[in-house]
Amino acid sequence: MLRVENISVRCGVATTLQDVSFSLGSGRALAVVGESGAGKSTLIGAILGLVPCASGQISWHGAPVCQCHPALVMQEPRAAFNPRLSLRRSVMEPVVAQKMQPDLNRLDQLCQGLELDTGLLDRHPSEVSIGQAQRVGILRALIAAPPLVLFDEPLSALDAVTQKHTARLIAQMQMQEGFAALIVTHDLGYAAAFADDIAVLRAGQVAEYGAAHAFVAAPQTAYGRKLRDAAFALGALEHVA
Amino acid sequence: MRIFAELVLRAAVVLTGVALATFALLWHAPGDPALAIAEARHGTVVSKEVLDLIRAEAGFDTGFWTAFWAWLSPLLIGDFGQSSVTGRHVWPDLVTAMSYTFPLALISLAIGLVVSVPLALVATRKPGSWMDRGAVALASIGVAIPAFWLGLLLILLFAVHLGWLPAMGAQTKAHAVLPALTLALGIAASLTRILRSGILEARTQTFLPAFYRRGVAAGDVARDHIAPHAAIPVVTVLGLELAFLLEGLVVVEVIFARPGLGSFLVNAIYARDFPKVQAVVIIAAVIFVTVNLLIDVIYRSLDPRMDRRDA
Amino acid sequence: MRSVGVLVVLFLLLMLFGPIMAPHDPTAINIPNRLRPPGDAWMLGTDALGRDILSRLLHGARWSLGLAFVVSVLSLIIGTCIGLIAAQGGRLADWIAMRTTDTFLAFPELIAAVVIAGVLGAGTGTLIFALTVTGWMRYARVARGIGLSVGTRGYVVQARLAGLSPLAIARWHYLPSLLPSLTVVWTGMFARAILGISTLGFLGFGVQPPLPEWGTMLLDARIHMRSTPLQMIWPGLAVVVSVLAINLAGDALRDALAEQKETA
Repeated sequence: MLRVENISVRCGVATTLQDVSFSLGSGRALAVVGESGAGKSTLIGAILGLVPCASGQISWHGAPVCQCHPALVMQEPRAAFNPRLSLRRSVMEPVVAQKMQPDLNRLDQLCQGLELDTGLLDRHPSEVSIGQAQRVGILRALIAAPPLVLFDEPLSALDAVTQKHTARLIAQMQMQEGFAALIVTHDLGYAAAFADDIAVLRAGQVAEYGAAHAFVAAPQTAYGRKLRDAAFALGALEHVA
Repeated sequence: MRIFAELVLRAAVVLTGVALATFALLWHAPGDPALAIAEARHGTVVSKEVLDLIRAEAGFDTGFWTAFWAWLSPLLIGDFGQSSVTGRHVWPDLVTAMSYTFPLALISLAIGLVVSVPLALVATRKPGSWMDRGAVALASIGVAIPAFWLGLLLILLFAVHLGWLPAMGAQTKAHAVLPALTLALGIAASLTRILRSGILEARTQTFLPAFYRRGVAAGDVARDHIAPHAAIPVVTVLGLELAFLLEGLVVVEVIFARPGLGSFLVNAIYARDFPKVQAVVIIAAVIFVTVNLLIDVIYRSLDPRMDRRDA
Repeated sequence: MRSVGVLVVLFLLLMLFGPIMAPHDPTAINIPNRLRPPGDAWMLGTDALGRDILSRLLHGARWSLGLAFVVSVLSLIIGTCIGLIAAQGGRLADWIAMRTTDTFLAFPELIAAVVIAGVLGAGTGTLIFALTVTGWMRYARVARGIGLSVGTRGYVVQARLAGLSPLAIARWHYLPSLLPSLTVVWTGMFARAILGISTLGFLGFGVQPPLPEWGTMLLDARIHMRSTPLQMIWPGLAVVVSVLAINLAGDALRDALAEQKETA
């Protein structure tokens, strides 16, 4: 279980996160929703230990998060791969780094689940489409079977059709693999459709936190209502409600 | 202001580092320094008592840090100590040496600028023209010629062959001509290269066509927009030029037998007169660090972006 | 890259086969035939001890170019390591590495090399030490500068998350990005090392006679400047041609890389 307790992050004089708390159980999905500048990326950095916290605690089953080797799926699919190496090398990096036995069956199985042709892995990042690159990114995140996977705006670099496809695949993989997923997104429709819980982040603070269906049905704060109504107006929540 | 303070602090740290490194080097020099001093003073046969006396006097019998502090603390108030060979104070000799070195350095730098600035301007008027290529070729060759060889060639031509100028010593002004030329040619060559690429780069700035299209006079554009841009790389490499100049000075003074800082240093090394070596090293480091500090400040005023970046 | 490759091969050939092509023993003293002008038996004449100048020049390539090569590669390795430690090791490591670099840069490198080589006593080992200790800083600065920007890239973050060791990250993710720029710096430093070795040799702090290093040869030739001025031309010319060739190759390489960056 991922526990984030009262963390604050300062960047220079500005406070980018203030007193943020939530938890995420094994195998569950939590969406962190907010506008740009709300502190979503900082939150990911803090959980992964890339950004130092001024105060508060983050733990995975009582131990530091980095010990469980969490994986990250990035917003920019191509930037997540070294342009000089083949995708296969990058994908196998976590396996090599954690001195695990390379399991080709698992690779094939994951490729199948992500609807990837294994031959694609011998190409370089610039030789595949953005959508393919993002699916390879998810493949790399899952290859070492991490118990916790963070998604930093996993869909926002993709076009609408690919977004739907990728979103479906992420949901399937979570069912299949059973990892805990933390998804940071500005897309409430996606968050509501995929996540068990939703945390609304606003100006570095948690404005609202609760079950996804409850939030969509009846937001507790004015800001939450505004967000939901905007999503409704765009037609993003029709299939949820 | 905070940045300025940090730069000064850095300079202080760096100078302390140089002092420590120099002292450590000399401390670990092979051979018995006391024996070297004794031989220089009293001839080849010396008694053990004399050696012990010298060791105590020079602080060789104390630990490294004690000896380092014994050298550094007078240095902080400008006392460079005494020559271990002659016993004379180092400072007056150092001043004499500097009085030969500084004018030569300044004249060489001036000639270098006078040659390189017009050359770079003419060359960049039409990039790729025969003038430009000629200037680039000359500069490339000039950079590749070691100062000691150029000096020897000049002596060969003007002193030995033509007999126009004196080669050795520093008695008259004419004695400074060949050393100054040697240094100036090297400086001019490297400055021309840097200025040329600086001007060309400034010209390709994307905002310039907009000025020309709006009808701003070409001269004004050159003065207000090209010059500051071209100045930035020049200011950046001035530190390198200074290093080049100081290095050239050592060689040139040795070749032309001029009693400046360079000869002072080389002779002190030959004689293993370490207080003198330390003094020259510290003087050179102070000059070098101070000039670079000034360059840094000028650089930041030319390119305000530098303020926000961690340099 | 090609021009540098060709150049490296050429110089390696000269270092390997130069001595074989030499018509005479470079250290064989032949007093009756001292200070001979260029002629049939001695293509470039003989020096004050009657040694064949051409043979000495060809053997000298091994010293002047070979030592410069060793020095520039050693400093490349040291400088890159320090730069990568600064870029990868966090704030404190960065501060220490950069202030160390500043300290070593706070003194004209060649003068520092003269002091070090002079104080430690002349010799080939001291020479390599003196020039390497004073020659790694530029590599460190370049490696750190590029390294810092590489460190923020997605794939480096991923590698760190994956738990890859800093050494492996440096090898697979940092080094490939550093290599082109470091090669350009290396060409410049190779040229500088040639100048440094010949200057130290000329001042008497470098390769010691009777070894035929070009700067040391000039020191010998200087005494007989009036009687045999030509003797002074050849070693200097050898230094200039080598340095010029390396600098030109370096310029070509830099332009090629800049072009590559623009089209990419």
